[in-house]
Amino acid sequence: MHLHVIKRDSCPGWKKALLYVGAVLAALVLGGILLLALGVDPLKYYGRMFTMGMVGNKIAYRVFENYLKVFVPLAITSVALSLAFKMRFWNIGGEGQFILGAVAAAWVAFLTGGVMPQGVALLLMCLAAMVASGLYGLVVAALKVKFGTNETLLTLMLNYVALYFLMYLGETKASWNILLDPKSARPVFASFGKMVSFPGIKFGKFSLNICVILTFVVGILVFIYLKYTKHGYEIAVVGDSVGTAHYAGMKVNTIVLRTVFLSACLIGLAAAFKVGTAGILSTAITDDVGWTGVIVAWLAQLNTIGIFLVSALISVLHYGSTAAATTFSAVDSSFANMLQGVILFTVLAADFLIRFRVVIDKKGEK
Amino acid sequence: MAESFAVEMRGITKTFGSVVANNKVDLNLRRGEILALLGENGSGKTTLMNMLSGIYKPDKGEIMVDGTPVSINSPEDAKRLGIGMVHQHFKLVDVFSAADNIWMGVEKGGAILKQERYDRIGEMAKKFGFDIDPRKKVCNMAVSEKQTLEIIKVLYYGAKVIILDEPTAVLTVQEIDKLFAVLRRMKEQGHSIIIITHKLNEVMDISDRVAILRKGEYITTVNTAETNEQELTEWMVGRKIDLNIDRPVVEHTRPLLEIRDLTIKNDEGAVAIDKVNFYIRGGEILGVAGIAGCGQKELCEAIAGLRPIVGGQMIHKGDNIVGLSPKAIQEKGIAMSFIPEDRLGMGLAPSMSITDNMLLKNYSESKGPFVDRKAGRAAAEQVIEALEVVTPSAETPVRRLSGGNVQKVLLGREIKAGPNVIVTAYPVRGLDINSSYAIYNILNEQKKSGVGVLFVGEDLDVMMALCDKILVLCHGRVMGVVHAHKTSKEELGLMMTGALDLSNRYEDKPAGIAKDTLMGETEKGDE
Repeated sequence: MHLHVIKRDSCPGWKKALLYVGAVLAALVLGGILLLALGVDPLKYYGRMFTMGMVGNKIAYRVFENYLKVFVPLAITSVALSLAFKMRFWNIGGEGQFILGAVAAAWVAFLTGGVMPQGVALLLMCLAAMVASGLYGLVVAALKVKFGTNETLLTLMLNYVALYFLMYLGETKASWNILLDPKSARPVFASFGKMVSFPGIKFGKFSLNICVILTFVVGILVFIYLKYTKHGYEIAVVGDSVGTAHYAGMKVNTIVLRTVFLSACLIGLAAAFKVGTAGILSTAITDDVGWTGVIVAWLAQLNTIGIFLVSALISVLHYGSTAAATTFSAVDSSFANMLQGVILFTVLAADFLIRFRVVIDKKGEK
Repeated sequence: MAESFAVEMRGITKTFGSVVANNKVDLNLRRGEILALLGENGSGKTTLMNMLSGIYKPDKGEIMVDGTPVSINSPEDAKRLGIGMVHQHFKLVDVFSAADNIWMGVEKGGAILKQERYDRIGEMAKKFGFDIDPRKKVCNMAVSEKQTLEIIKVLYYGAKVIILDEPTAVLTVQEIDKLFAVLRRMKEQGHSIIIITHKLNEVMDISDRVAILRKGEYITTVNTAETNEQELTEWMVGRKIDLNIDRPVVEHTRPLLEIRDLTIKNDEGAVAIDKVNFYIRGGEILGVAGIAGCGQKELCEAIAGLRPIVGGQMIHKGDNIVGLSPKAIQEKGIAMSFIPEDRLGMGLAPSMSITDNMLLKNYSESKGPFVDRKAGRAAAEQVIEALEVVTPSAETPVRRLSGGNVQKVLLGREIKAGPNVIVTAYPVRGLDINSSYAIYNILNEQKKSGVGVLFVGEDLDVMMALCDKILVLCHGRVMGVVHAHKTSKEELGLMMTGALDLSNRYEDKPAGIAKDTLMGETEKGDE
């Protein structure tokens, strides 16, 4: 028996959707087998996970607020990364850029909180974070443009530089270090949540944080930017063929620098939103969005609307697994990471089936 | 069975998605003959041969080798059956020696010492009358040597049936003669050969019989001696076609673009174009002939402003264009369309739609921050209509179009911009007869309207018919500029290999410098 792989001309939309849903289901089944092996009822676990423990919970609105806090940074980071990826600039430095943005935002929060009006303070926090992250990304782009260095390696390594810088700040008691709590003898990050924090709009008990609205605004703007503007057009051409871009008279270097700066800026904005709602720094401030964002961007095939859908789903997995971990002590919340990995694989398999058809050749049996 | 063939293919059908590449094709190959497989691009020649060499598997139909039905599931199967294929794009490891490239694919070759390998392969090459150094690395070889190596390789693997996919495309006239001599010798030794080509004169020259495919359908097989080029063309294209290329006579204007002592380096830093002189007048087509990789690409890139030059001058209508940005050069009316080997690399963004590709050079001219897709769509629809581009819609990614249509899109956009100099490299690369003639017509139209055309080509017959003058390059040096209607293929071939240098035929006037130059006396400069 021979298996033949045949290229498809086109695949109807409903079939694509079906294949992707099937892929996610297949991943859940695989996860379910693991759960069974751990002695946990998969249906009950998944039920808890996907409702994020909101069912029968008196403070369900709180749960949803917290879920959105996970969703916001992930969605913006993924959208930001897609900007660079569209240009085939492999920015996997989301973590590092996020950290620098977070530090900058927190620093500004301590300087301006209580001194300036809240709105001004928040605006300054966002700006500082965007500039810090943007420059951190720009360094890599500049090196690539000037010396042809590999951006994947550089952004990757700069992640660790940023992480250790954050740890240094978290462990160094000094008069200049305004990030730490002066009252504590041990070095701990101080909270500024009472001084400055992103406000919410009340809908009964539920409070919709302004960051959520801004996230959607950013999403729409990026969508328009990529699809309809000259800049977006340039990004697409550079991503498709650098030779063609040169030939068309585009200033490729400028485009690369500009786009990477913008991509990193948006990651800084995500960091500002995160810090501005958490009200405190921590060494785990990124929540791994720099990594998860890469997966989200690719799962969504760099489509801005897709990124929002996938971010929402992945956030459910992450937040839901934490909620479920309180009931099912046998399953750690890292289960979400495993599930996320399996989904990536099954979706890639679905992609293969969208592009190709597998035919079993019976004549080959001899 | 009346006759036992070396290879017989019956009712072969192969589809890719909805595209039928081969539909019930029959083909038979006698022992010790040279069969030409003739057909336009996209007629399914290569697909058919790929099924014989185990790369694809037919959906329907059967293949018989020496009268017994076989199932060829992989190139290894084909090798075992004594079928070898020399592909159009060589499949060699650059950093390996000739012998190692052959040894790589020897089944149960084992680890024998290099010395012995060299000896064995050298001996075997001599036996077949090839002249090749088994120690030479592939990266140091000329194209014709690489091809020879590919042929030796399939012979070493014991192939009795040898398939050559467009072997002459990369060779000069002299090298083609050599290759054909080799093929005839192989035939005498009892090998059966299938040669894929769409050049009629070669078919007439080398083959015993011709099998013709058209749009995936098998048309007929005829004895070469009993047919002629006109008849073959009709079978191949499906209707009568005028094989003559027009060369309208147009009044020349003064030089539009003058190149003086131009020196350019290639990506590796070696000199690609060495002190080249030439000029293009309005209303003429200047051909550039040369073996592949003789600096043609670098020359085109330099004129378009994409490659820095080391020395020399480029004067357009009396203005220096050296050092100008690609954008500024475009604005002067110099259009460049280069069709690289992969046919998509330069000038088009393959994943983007025709509309978007139309906008490539003028997207920045619209007002405001947004791209004016409406104008792009209108331009796309005009080009689609004017040049008869076959496409589902203007929004189809260029990558999905067939080769001829891709090239029409590219050329269409360049002409739409209303240039006064068109630099076009390999505009008919890989195109079928109809599309090629459509392109020649477009170029002639431009010539008639007073545009100067620089035509970098590979088919000498075409260049001699289409161009007014032909400049011959050899390793980056000008071997001379000849009148297309006065020269011969042999002369051009000798110049291309560097055996004949006409550049200093008249001592007072080196080739490629116009008498009525627009360059000032001071600019001329001495070397």
